[in-house]
Amino acid sequence: MAAVYKSLAKTSKSDKMDIDDDAKNGSSNGLRKNKQRVLILSSRGVTHRHRHLLNDLAAMLPHGRKDAKFDSKSKLYQLNELAELYNCNNVMFFEARKGKDLYMWFSKVPNGPTIKFHAQNLHTMEELHFQGNCLKGSRPILSFDATFETEPHLQVIKEVFTHMFGVPEGARKSKPFIDHVMGFSVADGKIWIRNYEIREVAKTKGEGEEEEEEETSKKSKKGGDSRETDISLIEIGPRFVLTPIIIQEGAFGGPIIYENKRFISPNHVRAELRRGKASKHVARQEQTRDNLARKRKLGLENGEVFKDKSGLDTRELFA
Amino acid sequence: MAKKGAKLAAKAPMTNKQSNGVTDKKQKADRRKSNDPPVEEPVAEADEEEWEDEDSEDESDEEEGGVDFSKLEDINDSDSDSEIGSDDDDEAEDDDEESEIDVDDLDLDDMDPEEKEELAATTRVRQTINNKDALLAALKRISLLPTEPKKAATVPFAYHMTLVTSKPTQDAIPSIDDDLERELAFLNQARESALQARTLLKKENVPFTRPTDYFAETLRSDETMQAVKRKMVEAATAKKASAEARKQRDLKKFGKQVQVQKQQERAKEKRATLEKINELKRKRKDGGGAALGAREVDDMFDVAVDNELGSNKAGGKRGRSAGDHGAPNAKRQKKNEKYGFGGKKRFAKSGDAVSSGDMTGFSAKRMKHGGGAGDGKKTFSSMSAKAKGSKPRLGKDKRKAGGRR
Repeated sequence: MAAVYKSLAKTSKSDKMDIDDDAKNGSSNGLRKNKQRVLILSSRGVTHRHRHLLNDLAAMLPHGRKDAKFDSKSKLYQLNELAELYNCNNVMFFEARKGKDLYMWFSKVPNGPTIKFHAQNLHTMEELHFQGNCLKGSRPILSFDATFETEPHLQVIKEVFTHMFGVPEGARKSKPFIDHVMGFSVADGKIWIRNYEIREVAKTKGEGEEEEEEETSKKSKKGGDSRETDISLIEIGPRFVLTPIIIQEGAFGGPIIYENKRFISPNHVRAELRRGKASKHVARQEQTRDNLARKRKLGLENGEVFKDKSGLDTRELFA
Repeated sequence: MAKKGAKLAAKAPMTNKQSNGVTDKKQKADRRKSNDPPVEEPVAEADEEEWEDEDSEDESDEEEGGVDFSKLEDINDSDSDSEIGSDDDDEAEDDDEESEIDVDDLDLDDMDPEEKEELAATTRVRQTINNKDALLAALKRISLLPTEPKKAATVPFAYHMTLVTSKPTQDAIPSIDDDLERELAFLNQARESALQARTLLKKENVPFTRPTDYFAETLRSDETMQAVKRKMVEAATAKKASAEARKQRDLKKFGKQVQVQKQQERAKEKRATLEKINELKRKRKDGGGAALGAREVDDMFDVAVDNELGSNKAGGKRGRSAGDHGAPNAKRQKKNEKYGFGGKKRFAKSGDAVSSGDMTGFSAKRMKHGGGAGDGKKTFSSMSAKAKGSKPRLGKDKRKAGGRR
């Protein structure tokens, strides 16, 4: 009986809240409900690490839809249809190349933009040096670096991240409490992504110390609820680094509106390394060739001794 | 020359784009139509990439130089951007031109490879594509929040949950290769946002803290968390053990010193004692022979020396030395004698100079009557001696004890 009453009370309350919210957001701001669904899938040929990262991200996004591996790497426009099929308006596509390089495509589906990243330094949640944990499906706080507001392409990236990683309010499987924060920072031309648990540490200290703490927290722009708890962050994972490569205007198509010239393809890097090694060998080869040529010039080929073919040779003389 | 031509060719689309800004959506739709269907785009791109790879392998040096140069240009670009905020129009135009060139380059995809090669050779330094207008348009198209900052401010924080920090994190990172510093900077950024978000959410009455009795599935499985915990414990124990080992090592090193010091101390003490004894003896000698007779008994047991030593020791540190204990009770003494603690037992019965010189219990009378002990009739003679009732020679222990008494 009590349960029934409770549920009834809750629904009526939430209805009221909804109406309030609508009155607050919907009509006055012209805000629609934030509806995001993300299709998460990879190409064939991903390594286990890539797959784990994908699983981690899928676990973090209650509004995500994980799908089977996508077969093609060239006909990515087919993803648009696939996303439509699943009612998704975002696609997060992991493209693995050569069984080692991971490219991540973030696309807003019906009409763009699409961002292609190169992902490096992947650490998944399985790793044991991450000590945090949080509720599955709780909404993250998205913390962006101030650099994200400076350049248009970074602004676009920020917006897309907000759609993809931000769990929309009232998403189906989301939890009502907030216990983790995702950090996006720009450094060295790359975007570094981290995920931390927010742990509220109770202040179990003496009165005097509490006062002191209050002061310090006031310094860090807090003041009001400093009495209650302090915040400490513990990393949960995954962590990875994205280098933006291009931004296309459409969804998996359309003109390129941004291209990162600082990006050097991993193929180039590897080729450069190989060439560096090969140059040693080439130099040695050249040297031997030169030696041979010089010897030949002196008539010392094949270890033969230079022979005087004139008539003064002993063998000729005393034949 | 080719570049110039490209620029000229670019004029037409540029004007097209500028008009774009006026009537946005309709034009956009047009453009989408006019563009190649997106079907072909990625294929073409992939082709181009491959071609680039081959190309770059041939002329790596040039490519490298090119990259560097473009970087430089980039830097210049950004600098000028940040410096000249007011000359927005010029800047925008420049950008437009650049981007148009690139767009043209892309359009040239269907040229012959040879022609392309030529073009690439003449315009070695590829231009950056950074079509800011298009980027901003795209942003406007997808943005969750209203673009006007006034309206955006009224949106509740719980709607988007995004925060932008006040300072760029990059400034807080001295070197990107320093893992610790870098991670700390990221952590601080996240922490700042978390604190800010908490106040904002509390203001909006959105539940923030998870109650302790709220249990639900977590992001990382229990097994993982257990493994994490196990690892932490292991690390802690390993740390503790290593600390212990280090302490032990130090102690060992230091212990040696202590031992040596103690030995030296002991030697010093011994020397001091001996000196004292010698001094005392000298004093006694000096004291004269008259007193000697009177104090013969005292002298025999060296009582004065004992007293002297005792007085010395009473003030000393080593209060509870062996001498301090007083003699144990009689029973104990007996037991000690019997079972041990009586000093050395071995060779106690063997003869030595003293014992062979000991003539107590030897009588000439017995020697005359009883027959020689050395005849091999020892048992008989002793028996006969007993029978005769004369006193037999006592055992060595007894004799010794008797002699002392």
